This record gives sequence, C-alpha cells and structure tokens, in this order.
Amino acid sequence: MPPIINPELCSRCGMCVDLCTEDVFYGSEEGEIPNVTFPEECVHFSGCVYECPDEAITLRIPLPMLLVYKSTPTGR
Amino acid sequence: MTEDVVEADVLCVGGGIAGLMAAIRAGEMGAKVVVAEKGNARYSGCGRSGNDHFEAYIPEVHGPEVDEFIDELLKTAKGEIHLGRAIFQAQFARTLSIVQLWDKWGIPMRYQGGWEFAGHSFPGRTMTHIKYEGRFQKEVLVRQARDRGVEILDRVMVVDLLRQGDRIVGALGVHTRDERALVFKAKSVILATGKCSRLYPSLTPGWMFNDPHGGVQSGDGRAMAYRAGAELQNVEMPQRHIGPKYFAKFGQASWIGVLKDPEGKPAGTFVQKPDRKYGDMILEVNKLVAEEQSLAGKGPLYMDCTDMSEEDHGYMMHWMEHEGNVSLVDHMRDEGIDPRKHPIEFATYPLRAGGLVIANENAETSLDGLYAAGDESFGDISAAATFGWIAGENAAFGAETLQHPGLDSQAGRIKEAETFMEDLRRRPQGPDWKETNVALQQVMNDYAGMVRNGALLEQGLSHLRRIREKAKDELIARNPHELWRCLEVMNLIELGELVFLLALDRKETRGLHRRPDYPFTNPTLDKAHVVRSVEGAPHVEWRSYQGGR
Repeated sequence: MPPIINPELCSRCGMCVDLCTEDVFYGSEEGEIPNVTFPEECVHFSGCVYECPDEAITLRIPLPMLLVYKSTPTGR
Repeated sequence: MTEDVVEADVLCVGGGIAGLMAAIRAGEMGAKVVVAEKGNARYSGCGRSGNDHFEAYIPEVHGPEVDEFIDELLKTAKGEIHLGRAIFQAQFARTLSIVQLWDKWGIPMRYQGGWEFAGHSFPGRTMTHIKYEGRFQKEVLVRQARDRGVEILDRVMVVDLLRQGDRIVGALGVHTRDERALVFKAKSVILATGKCSRLYPSLTPGWMFNDPHGGVQSGDGRAMAYRAGAELQNVEMPQRHIGPKYFAKFGQASWIGVLKDPEGKPAGTFVQKPDRKYGDMILEVNKLVAEEQSLAGKGPLYMDCTDMSEEDHGYMMHWMEHEGNVSLVDHMRDEGIDPRKHPIEFATYPLRAGGLVIANENAETSLDGLYAAGDESFGDISAAATFGWIAGENAAFGAETLQHPGLDSQAGRIKEAETFMEDLRRRPQGPDWKETNVALQQVMNDYAGMVRNGALLEQGLSHLRRIREKAKDELIARNPHELWRCLEVMNLIELGELVFLLALDRKETRGLHRRPDYPFTNPTLDKAHVVRSVEGAPHVEWRSYQGGR
C-alpha cells in the first residue's frame, strides 16, 4: 500500500505524520513507527518520501495506477 | 464537542498558494491573520509539490500593451469563465512584481540568468508562461507568512461561514484529528480552498484519490459560500484534463514530445517533432482528443518523446520535478520506462467539477467581508498568487479601525452545525463517507456526465436528493478523520445538486455540456450563469460582464 516505512531506518520522528495533508498516518502514536492507517487516501506526491530525514519511506504505486507505455516508438 | 474561539482581522480558509499569498500581504499590512488549513500548509493545494509554469506579462519582453498579451492568452483554453476583462487587467498589472517577489524570497523564477518562456503557447505566437523552479514554493510561502506573524492552524477544516445581515463575520471550523470545534471571529474571510475533486469518479475507480488536484479539495469554499448566500458561476460546466494514463498528474506543457497515434501520425498539427519551447498544443486545444480517437477506433494515443535530444531529455526531467511530478519521475525510473525510448499513453481524464465563486478584480465576492482567490474563483498559479495578494491587501485595508459586530447572533447557527457533527459521531451504524461518496460519483457520472438531457437530469436530481436525505440522517463518522471526510462529502453533494439544477436551466449545448434536447449553442447565453441561495432556495440568473469572458 502506498507509503511503506522501513522500521530498521525509521527514527520515529513523526515528520511524515505531521506533513501528510491527507492524514494517511492518522492515529499514529508519538514516538512510535507511524501507522499507514488510510493508504487508499494517499495522493502519491511523495512528500513523505523526500521529507523523511531517515530516507525510511518508499512509495509503492498501486497496480491500477501503473503507467501504460509502448516498448518501441510509435509507427515502428 | 468543546469549542475554542479564535479572533482575527483576516481569516484565510485554505493554505495553498492563494491563501498563503493573501496571508502574507494582509500580515505585512499589519492585520492579525489566521490561516485555517485542513492538511499541512507545507504540503497542501495544487502547488503542494511544485509547479513549473507561471503566466506573466513582462513589459520588457512583451512590449507596453498588456491588452495584446491578454488577447493572446484568451486563445488558449480558459473554460467558460465570464468575469470581464478587468480581472485579467488586474492580474497582469501585477504579475511582474509578484514574479520578482517570489524570486527574491527564494523561488527561482529565472532559468540560467534570464526569463525562460516555454509551453502553453502556440508556435510563432506570443509566449505567455515563464518556466520557474517551484518544487519548494510552499515551504517558501509558509516561511514568508510566518515571518509576518501569520498564525497557520494546520488540521482545521472550516465548515461554514457566519453571516450577519449582508456581512460575513466569521466562520465555524473543526479540528480534523480531535473533537474540538473552532469559532472564528473575523472581520474578513478569504476563501481559498481550491478546486473540487471527488464529485465524479477518478481515472482509476478503485482509487478515488488518484486526482491531479490531490484528493481533499472537495469544493468546501464554494459550498460554504453558496450556503452563506454568495454568488457562484457556471457550476454545471464540466472540465476535463489530459495526461499520462492511469497516473493522474498535471504537467501537460512539461512534456517535450508529440502526441501520436499508433502508426506514428501526430494527433494535432502544431508540432511534428519534439520542441522544448512549445510542447504539443493539441493537449490544450482539445483535451478530448485521446478519448475521441479511442472511441473512433484510432487509439491509443501516445506522448512520443523518442525523437528528443539528450539535452531536451535532461531539460524535461528537470522541469517535471519542479511541476510536482517527482513521484511520476520515480515511477518511470522504477519501472524502467524511459521517455527517450518508450512512448507513454495519454488519456483524457474523467469529468471534474467546474464553476467558481464570483469575485471581482478586487477579489471581493457578492458578500461584504468575503473574498475569494485562487482556484476557488479564477485559477492557475499566477492568478492564485496575484488574486491572493489582492484579496489579502483589500481584506486588511482598514481592518484595525473596523468594529466587529460580535457573534451573539450566531449562537443558533453554531449550535446547529455542532449538533450535526456530534450526531455523525454518535450514530452506531449507517453509510460511511466512502460509501456515500461512491453513491454520489455514480449518480454524477450516469446522470450529469457530458451528455445530458432534461429527463436524465430530472431523474438524477431526484435520486441525488434521496441520497442527500439519507446521508443527512444516516451518515456515520467513526473517528474525527472520518468526520472530516463526511463534511467534505456533504459539501460535494451540495455542489452536485447545483450541477443538476444549473444543467437543467442551461437549455443549450456548449463546451462539455452537451444536451441533445438542445443541440445548438445559444449565442444569447454567452454570459455567466449565476446562482445564489435566497432563504435556502437557489436563485438563478444570467449576467453579462464588461469585455466578454
């Protein structure tokens, strides 16, 4: 589900909980590894990924959102 | 529900570009300013993770005649906006000074030492947009606001405006993480809550928040403006966008490529090979092109960047990151999608709500003490920045000496709203926000899509009203987060009902409002379709503004 937190790297600072506008991490406890409570409300802007001081967050793009592309140039 | 009172000269509802620019200007004029933001102002609004184009009239480049610049700009799609020419004149009288301010504050508005014009313009014509490095713009604007003593209240949703006579005297809000209500006693209120997502289904039906605006822009400002009696315009006129298929993002003008069919034939006529200066204007001339070609059996259409140079590739990826598309760039990298090798399919995105809160060139709405700026009224980054600034300046002007009438008359209204919120939290069972939102999207999609007729609209309206009554009586919120979402959905339902009412009243075909029962565009309706609430009932009229759209 969208943001994935690596517990080995996370320093439990709460930066992502503080910044996420959609409040995907709602209900997370201070000083604990954040809980991804509402993953389906993630808007995939990667704010949490780039603000995390521990580089502990990755974003997994849901399957329905995968880009569609062609492996060769058009018309060739 | 506990209740805190917050006093301010100016309350900005929404901490996006318009709300923050309003707050900055009002703050530097000495007003006591509060920004109420549903999320975190550092990451909210359409500009949350960047933009790369800013419409700007720069006399040293464009010459002394602003009207020529405005005429050129009006050639590119602006939707059905009828506000009069004074709006554009007010905007472009100030864009250079706003650009210079942003540059000074640390949002780089120049590229390699000069103005870089690219995108959103036709080959051979006046260039209207400068490229700028906006990835960290929100951080800069938040800092500028705080430096001027502005108080930013994150995690506060403004629920309704408080009106006394013809004047707005404050607002009611609620914290999105706990049970506290907030009563704002304000001399002026600036609405800057952005666009309206989640009224129609998304590009990926299972993922409602896959929307280029983000998911929490639920038309709160226009819904509360309507309830308070302010005027809205053209709410029934849908809009559509075009972009990468399934990963819904803005940035059409950041792509350096040619939109092509499977045989490699360009879908438009503006460029034949990738051009970093212009992009492919077919995306702005006809946003339906991908859907139309697909339905005609000529799809899919691809953004083909394969002929671009290495330098252009570096240039495009640089600007993609500033346009707020860093997650898209990362996704391409992770999946091994390389625009130098792989044409990327583009899709016409589903309908989204149009319309706006009517505000004049001073950002004043039809109610005293109420202003609107940004996508709330008249969109894009440049307009948001400029009209935010104008709104803040006018709202703050004279605020020190203005006497607030007090909120004694508002007790009943506040109690009613708080009781509704408490009811949602107390109900043991019933539909939650998501179920209700899906029901709303279903009826909007099926009965108020691009093709509409009288019977369809009547049926959809009566069905939506049933959903609304059920939602009012049965909607549940299991926690404060769900309460926030429920209040958003109630706003969306309010706006959905207006779409039906105004679509029924617009007896013509125009833009994306297509009525086979009235198949022609009626030139006498080349006006603003205005609605306001009079004693709880919608009052609709047509109005002309000086100088056309």
